[in-house]
Amino acid sequence: MTSAARRLAGPAAAAAVAAAVVGYVGAVDPNQAGHYPTCPFLFLTGFYCPGCGSLRAIHAMAHLDLLTAVDRNPVTVAAVPLLLWTWLRWTRRAARGRARTWAAPPWAVWSLLGVILGFWVLRNVPGLEWLAP
Amino acid sequence: MSTDGPYPPSAPEPEPGTPSWPAGGQQQPPYGGPAPYGQPGPAQPPAYQQQPGAYPAGYPAQPVYGPPAGPPPDNFLVWAILSTVLCCLPLGIVSIVYAAQVNDKWLRGDVAGATESARKAKQFAIWSAGVQAVVLVLIGIFYIGIFALALGTASTAP
Repeated sequence: MTSAARRLAGPAAAAAVAAAVVGYVGAVDPNQAGHYPTCPFLFLTGFYCPGCGSLRAIHAMAHLDLLTAVDRNPVTVAAVPLLLWTWLRWTRRAARGRARTWAAPPWAVWSLLGVILGFWVLRNVPGLEWLAP
Repeated sequence: MSTDGPYPPSAPEPEPGTPSWPAGGQQQPPYGGPAPYGQPGPAQPPAYQQQPGAYPAGYPAQPVYGPPAGPPPDNFLVWAILSTVLCCLPLGIVSIVYAAQVNDKWLRGDVAGATESARKAKQFAIWSAGVQAVVLVLIGIFYIGIFALALGTASTAP
C-alpha cells in the first residue's frame, strides 16, 4: 500500500460506513414499527430530542424525497451538506498529506449549539408541529 | 479557603474560591483550572479573577491573540453532530460545548486550554457513543424479549 492510499483509508472507511448506513436505512423502512428501537430519550421522557426523526429523514433522503426528509427532521437534512463538506476537506487533506491548519470560527460552533438547543425546545412546543418528527 | 493570613493578597494561589471543575487543573501549571467557558485570557499571568458565572458572550471583549502555529487540536465536532442530530442521545450536546471551547481557546492562543478541552470533547464523544450503544442494546433485548414471549404464546396456541 502506498502512503497516499494509507492516508486515504480513513476517508474511504467513513464513506463506506456512511454508504452502508444509508443503504440499510433506505432498504429497511423506519416508518414501520419494530424495525428500529425507539429513541431512548423519547422512550424515557416522552419529549422529542434533536435527533428524533433522523432515521425517517435518512430513509426519505435515500429515496430522494427531500420534502419528507425536511418534514421529519430539518436539522438532519441541514447536517448532510455540512458533513459532506467536512468529509471533502478531510479527504483533500489526506490526499495531500497535510495536517489541518484551519479551525472553525468559535461563533459558528456556538451558533450550531444554539440552533440544536433551540430546535430541541421548539419542536416540543405545541403549535410548532412542523418541527416535530 | 480564604485564610489569606500568611499570603500576600496578590499571591497567585491556585483557585481558592472559584467553582472548580472535576479534575480540572492537573495538567495546567500556570493557570488553576480551565473555567467552564474559557474565560481567562490566555498568556496573562496575573489575571486570576475568573468570573464564576461568565458565559461565552464575553469573548469578543477579550484581547485578541492570534492562533498559534501548527495544527489545531481536533474538536470532535463531527462526532458530536452525528450523535445529537443523526442519532438519538443528547449527551452529544456537552461534546459540542467542548468543541466550541477548543476552537475558542485555540484562536485566542491558549494552547493548553484548547488541548484540555479537546481531551474532554473526545471523552464525551466516546461516552456518548458508549451510552448510546448500551441503551440501544437494552432496548433491543427488551423488544426481543417481548417478541420471544409472543412467539412462545403463539406456539402454544393450537
